[in-house]
Amino acid sequence: MWPSRLHKKLYVTPQSTISPFKLIAQAAECGQADCTRSQSVLRIWKSLKLANIQRLSNMEVSYGAPPESVQKKFALPVDSEHKATEFRLFSVAAPHMRAFHLSWVSFFACFVSTFAAPPLLPIIRDDLDLTATDIGNAGIAAVSGAAFARVAMGTACDLFGPRLASSALTLITAPAVYCTAIANSPASFILVRFFTGFSLATFVSTQFWMSSLFSSKVVGTANGVAGGWGNLGGGATQLIMPLVFDLIHNIGATKFTAWRIAFFIPALFQTLSAYGIFFLGQDLPDGNYSQLHKSGDKHKDNFSQVFYHAITNYRGWILALTYGYCFGVELTIDNIIAQYFYDRFNVNLHTAGIIAASFGLANLFSRPAGGILSDIMAKRYGMRGRLWTLWIVQTLGGIFCIFLGKVGSLGVSIAVMIIFSVFVQAACGLTFGIVPFVSRRSLGIVSGMTGGGGNVGAVLTQVIFFRGSRYSTETGITLMGIMIICCSLVIMSIYFPQWGGMFCGPSSKVTTEEDYYMSEWNSAEKERGIHMASMKFSENSRSERGRRVESAPTPINGTPSTYV
Amino acid sequence: MAIQGFLVVSLLFSCLAATSYGLTFSSLQESLIVTASPKHGQVLSAGEDNIVVTWSFNKSLAAGTDSSYKTVKFKLCYAPVSQQDRAWRKTEDHLNKDKTCQHNIVTKPYSSSNNTFTWTVERDVPTATYFIRAYAYNSADHEVAYGQTTDAHKTTNLFNVQAISGRHVSLDIASICFSAFSVVSLFGFFFLENRKAKMSQAK
Repeated sequence: MWPSRLHKKLYVTPQSTISPFKLIAQAAECGQADCTRSQSVLRIWKSLKLANIQRLSNMEVSYGAPPESVQKKFALPVDSEHKATEFRLFSVAAPHMRAFHLSWVSFFACFVSTFAAPPLLPIIRDDLDLTATDIGNAGIAAVSGAAFARVAMGTACDLFGPRLASSALTLITAPAVYCTAIANSPASFILVRFFTGFSLATFVSTQFWMSSLFSSKVVGTANGVAGGWGNLGGGATQLIMPLVFDLIHNIGATKFTAWRIAFFIPALFQTLSAYGIFFLGQDLPDGNYSQLHKSGDKHKDNFSQVFYHAITNYRGWILALTYGYCFGVELTIDNIIAQYFYDRFNVNLHTAGIIAASFGLANLFSRPAGGILSDIMAKRYGMRGRLWTLWIVQTLGGIFCIFLGKVGSLGVSIAVMIIFSVFVQAACGLTFGIVPFVSRRSLGIVSGMTGGGGNVGAVLTQVIFFRGSRYSTETGITLMGIMIICCSLVIMSIYFPQWGGMFCGPSSKVTTEEDYYMSEWNSAEKERGIHMASMKFSENSRSERGRRVESAPTPINGTPSTYV
Repeated sequence: MAIQGFLVVSLLFSCLAATSYGLTFSSLQESLIVTASPKHGQVLSAGEDNIVVTWSFNKSLAAGTDSSYKTVKFKLCYAPVSQQDRAWRKTEDHLNKDKTCQHNIVTKPYSSSNNTFTWTVERDVPTATYFIRAYAYNSADHEVAYGQTTDAHKTTNLFNVQAISGRHVSLDIASICFSAFSVVSLFGFFFLENRKAKMSQAK
């Protein structure tokens, strides 16, 4: 009975623009009362196999073919939204892993450019006659631009897709890096660092892109590795730039020319990575935003609605604040740590640079570890596990920060700094294990707000504790540790009605993932059917219940028949 | 607690060790007379202009004071106005921590009179206000005396150096061209994207 009914409805002409998902939805009318959505989908696919709809897979229907064709189309196993359910680090298969590699490399390039100046400051400050105040202001300028740019980037991702948004931003900030080579005064130096810093907003497109391509089981890992390996640029640049400078200086350029030429390297790297993303990347597993918009498969969302649902979700604001005290702290340390070791322990500049680099280089494993840990805790304890782990790790980061300011000997100080860096960076990874679940419709803006909050935290911390001579650097570091612990307490107030919070279980009236994510769409929009992506996401986010997934209640709103 | 105490003691001990070994500037005798050709406030161009330095032993001091002097090292030192708000040029009494004099001019063997040399200001000297100081070293290569072109408060005979900017016309052109290229490629991207979308719609 199944095959013939389906056969009629699915036999479409190659030029049809009806979304095959809608067709399958119509065919999936599940008469039995105990039929959940996932069971009905499974039955359809099994019967499609039986009906031998090989004809369909030979036609130019973009999706909706039987499972084995779907699996053949993607190199990785995918779920119903075509998001990868596995994360294979050493694969470059399109679209999932290729997008992963493109996005982390371009984010790495942006970090290298933004923090290319600090290791060369001893030369630059003599060439441009900078004072300590100028240097401090330039450091603040470098991280302040991205505070706003990250929110704008989130909006751009929601509306235009991460591929176009990130390649556009990377290309438009490359001129600032090229023009660093022609800076000739403190004012021009501060300006180029300010505009170069905007490129740090590519963090948001990285996280958004990973959240669009990887399912909830591995999104923490994907976000953590992409973010961590990008942040690595802040440490790598402390090693790369002095090496490039030395090379150019030894070829024969004077010092004051060699540092200028050296800036072309990060600038070219940035430009090339933008090209790579544009030509080789893809927004979604099924295509790019612009194609999907025009073919009607992806609805172009309404900006004011997306914005409204982002700013009215209190969880986004809380995560923005806490991210300011893990990532913001990381940015602050990137700016001040070399000088701290140079001044307090009288090491030479090369050694101070290597120590500074090791702080950023810990990102190679610590931020991904945070993401992986988030996913492991979610498997067993669901969203509550993610929240508890974030709070514990970030508070431990604050405790080690307090120690760092107190310790007075070089060896112990380096050891404490490395332990501190691991906890702080893992907290960043853990935060972005939670962000994809705060909102589905406004994922971009929420990612942007959280990312921007990180930069605001960096600006605030540097202005309060590391500017002028009010506090010595070591006192500033200790006070920063205390502030980390205090600001992390607000994680306790995050509560998801369908999953619970740190201290409370899920809501006593049966609330499901659909209820939470559907509350972002009004009934007019639901009638037009543009909420389908959120529906699919709700289904796939059931894993955030932890071990209780088997006892999933059926949703109160929305009937199974209108959804796949 | 015990470990903290041990750390504090070892740190203090190492500081003590350093200070007892390092010499202080205030312990040196100003026994050399050094004069330089630039007048007070004159601006010299790095890489182009010369400085003529004349130096000798101060004859009014007791003879034999200079018996231990073996070599004399000349350095270009920052005047107080160029040290303001720049902790990396700070003056410290301990000579191994002092960062006032960061540019070496020349090292000469010691002789008590009729000494003069010409030095071209090097191209990596930054824009700042300077004076010249000479340190006399004994055979163990420790500082034993000094002389400088300015007074004890570092207010007279200060001259300026205007550094090279490091910029070249070719660099400027390259920067502008690459920047323009980036912006043009961006517009190219948008155009290509629109075209691709229109083509997939027409399909």
